[in-house]
Formats: sequence, C-alpha cells, structure tokens
Amino acid sequence: MKVSDVMVYDISAVFEDDTVERAVDIMERHVVSGVPVVDEDMRVVGFVTEADIMRASIPSYFTLLQSASFLPDTDQFMKNVLKIRDHKVSEYMSKPPIVVKADSTLIYTADLMMRHNIKTIPVVDDEGRLIGIVTKIGILKAALKGELE
Amino acid sequence: MNLKVLTVTLNPALDREMFIDDFQVNRLHRILRSDRSILSPGGKGVNVSVALANFGVPSVATGFLGGYMGRILIEELRRTSNLITTNFVFIKGETRENIAIIDEKNHTITEINSPGPLIEDIDLDHLMRRYTMSLSRVELVVISGSVPESLGSDVYVKLVRVAREKGKTVFMEVRDRHISTLYENDALPDVIKPDFRMEYRLLRKSLETTDDFIEQAKKLIERGSKLVVLSYQVDKDLIVTSDGVWLIKPKVGVEISHILGTGDTYMAAMVYRYLSGIRDMLDVGRFGYIAALAKTKKAKKKPPSLQEIEEFSDKYILERVI
Repeated sequence: MKVSDVMVYDISAVFEDDTVERAVDIMERHVVSGVPVVDEDMRVVGFVTEADIMRASIPSYFTLLQSASFLPDTDQFMKNVLKIRDHKVSEYMSKPPIVVKADSTLIYTADLMMRHNIKTIPVVDDEGRLIGIVTKIGILKAALKGELE
Repeated sequence: MNLKVLTVTLNPALDREMFIDDFQVNRLHRILRSDRSILSPGGKGVNVSVALANFGVPSVATGFLGGYMGRILIEELRRTSNLITTNFVFIKGETRENIAIIDEKNHTITEINSPGPLIEDIDLDHLMRRYTMSLSRVELVVISGSVPESLGSDVYVKLVRVAREKGKTVFMEVRDRHISTLYENDALPDVIKPDFRMEYRLLRKSLETTDDFIEQAKKLIERGSKLVVLSYQVDKDLIVTSDGVWLIKPKVGVEISHILGTGDTYMAAMVYRYLSGIRDMLDVGRFGYIAALAKTKKAKKKPPSLQEIEEFSDKYILERVI
C-alpha cells in the first residue's frame, strides 16, 4: 500500500514567519499536535509541534531530567512562553522536515515515524510542495485491515 | 495530482436536508427514516468541489471553518472524495448550519440559512496568503456564496484581483451586492451567475422584464465578463455572451422541490466544460444548464454523474433572443 491510499488530503499549514502564538492557535483550532511549516511557494520547510514549543519554554535542565517534579514552580515556564510568543515559528520548528511522497510505501513511512518518534509526516510532490499529511492512525488503520504491504 | 480548480467558500455551512411530506409550520413532524434527514458539507464553493469530484476533477477547497460544526464539515468533505484537498483557515467562531425542508408531496422547499461567524483580520490575512499560494497550482478559481457579515464585499474584490494578477480564470456565483461592488471596482470575473434566490436584482436595479435582465447582463459583458448566466424564471435561463443572448428552457417537467444544489451543479458543470478546452461560452453555459436539469431529477443534494447529464443532452430548447 502507498501513502496516497491512507493520506489526508489537507494542506493546512503555517508560514515560516507566523508567530508561535499563531501556530498554537492553529493547532488548537485544528485539534492537532503539530503542523507543517511552508514557504510562499508551499514548499515544506519544517514541522512544528506543541512539544517543540514546550521544549523551547522550559529550562534546559528540565529536558535532561525528563520530569516536571524537578521544576521548582511554573513561573519560569510561563515567563519563557510569553517571551517566545511573538517569535517566528521557524525558530522552533524541526528542520529539515521529514517528508514522504504520495507513492512512498506505508512500511517505509511507518519506519520513519518509529525512528523519529513522530505522529504525522507531511506528504509532498516532486517539487517539495505540501499535498497532504499521513498520520500514525492512518497507517495503523491500514495495518489492522492487513493492508500494510 | 494536478489540482486544476480552487474553490473559495468564505461562509461554508453544514447542510441539513429534511424530507417532510405535508410540511406545515407550528406543527410537530417526526422523521422516521434516517435517509430522510441528511447532513452534508455545504456552502456554494464546497458544493462545487463536491460536484467537480463527481466529474473526476480534482480541486482544492478553501475558506473559513470553525468549531464543532467546522470539524464535522471537514471530516464529511474528506470522506466524500480524495479528489478534494482541503485548505481551510480555522477561526474562533462556529461554522453555521443551514436547513432545507423538502416537501416532495406539495413541491415546496423551505430554506433557513444562518449568517455565519465573525472573521478576525488575522484570519483573513492568513486566508489571503493561503489563497495566493494555492492559486499558483490551479488553472481556475470558483468564488461562490455569501460573505460573513464582518467582511463585506471588498474581500471579493481582493480575491478577484489576486486571481487576475496570476492570470487565472474566475467563475463566480454571488448576490448582487457583491456583483455591484465588483463592477464598481472594475474587478469582474470571467463568468458570473448571479444568485437570485433572495431577489431579482442586478447592478443595483430591480429586474422585472426580460429587457431588464438583458440590459443589466450586457453591462457586465461590456465591462469584460465572458459569460453571464441568469436564472430568468425557475426553470428558464438567459445565457448572455459577447456574441448574443439566448433563452434556454426544458422540454421536460422540473420538480421544484429538487432544486437544492442545482446552482452549484450548474457552476461545476460550466467549470468542467471550460477545463475540457471549450471556449465557446454559449456551449459552456448550455452544458451547465443541462447538468442543472439533470440534478432536478435527484431529490437529494448529491450532484448528477456525467452519464446522467448526458441523458439530458436533448431535453432542452435553446432560442436566440438577440
């Protein structure tokens, strides 16, 4: 099975110069945890997730400790979130983006998701322009029907 | 996949069609079968995307969606066809719900359309960027339907101008207040189908006689539009091009309670014909009419197939008026 069989034909995205606050608004309204970041030609230049924003807002030692119980209070987090609110989303997105083509296999796509621990991958055309997304749940549904190969 | 068409629906709706025989106000009606109450994605541009998918034409649908209704609409639209790519800007407000009560026994249709949500400037800016970006990937744009009250007609002027700058063909079905603004701002589309559902009015003039219809349509042609299609009476239309004016009417009876969605089928069929390389605008308008006629044989909003349209290819009369 190919990505084109299970992908969502949606090209919702944020632009490189959109703010962090705008990206969070869009994720919240779309009820998604991450969105592709595109340039003016619709080429995918990155992918930003709520985790990227969280990571950018917490003290760096927290990522090493990997537990909120080590945070003395939430003040630091709040201050950092407000500090980056108006920053460009391109500063915090994952780049270069992990992308697949519509004719990529689901096995290859599932492998990418597991290796990079991601839930959504943008699907691009030959020019790198966004044409949709493929999600972990889409692949799981195909797997449950025995249609992954 | 070459997307070919961009449809713009600034005020989409979740459409609820209810089939109730002997419908009366101030009375309880129970719907006993699930297929007599149907929920579907709606709004003129969205409907055009659905009809185009039915004809095998891929399109990208853009506009504003919001809230619970917006999420249902987009899910339903995705289920409809993989030939529709969605590119909506999600807003804070709630997408509206439109209701149509169809009484096939008494041949009536009662429609209740809501006004739509508030659109913030930041969301409009985002839509304009995504619209401009999507335009570079399509051949033609369809802009149809109402505008949320907070925006006004100026937004249509902007959309048409950007499309023109990018050399795209523009088809529109909108109400006269928008057409008049486009006319006054020298931003007319290539194809116009005025939405006369609320009133027979064009370029701020009330239309009463056939001459009124023709006179006003000709002003649009003189200002650069290539085709104007006017719903002259329920089942009769006027097709106006730079080559003349024609009256088109059916040879077969038209079921009035089945007219929901005919305008959008009309528009989609004209787009389909135009994309197939036809530049004789009378032919484009005529094909739209035939498709709309085929749609009236279907009770539900679902558009006809190309084969069903073909069956109506000799079920009309075309008369030259001028």
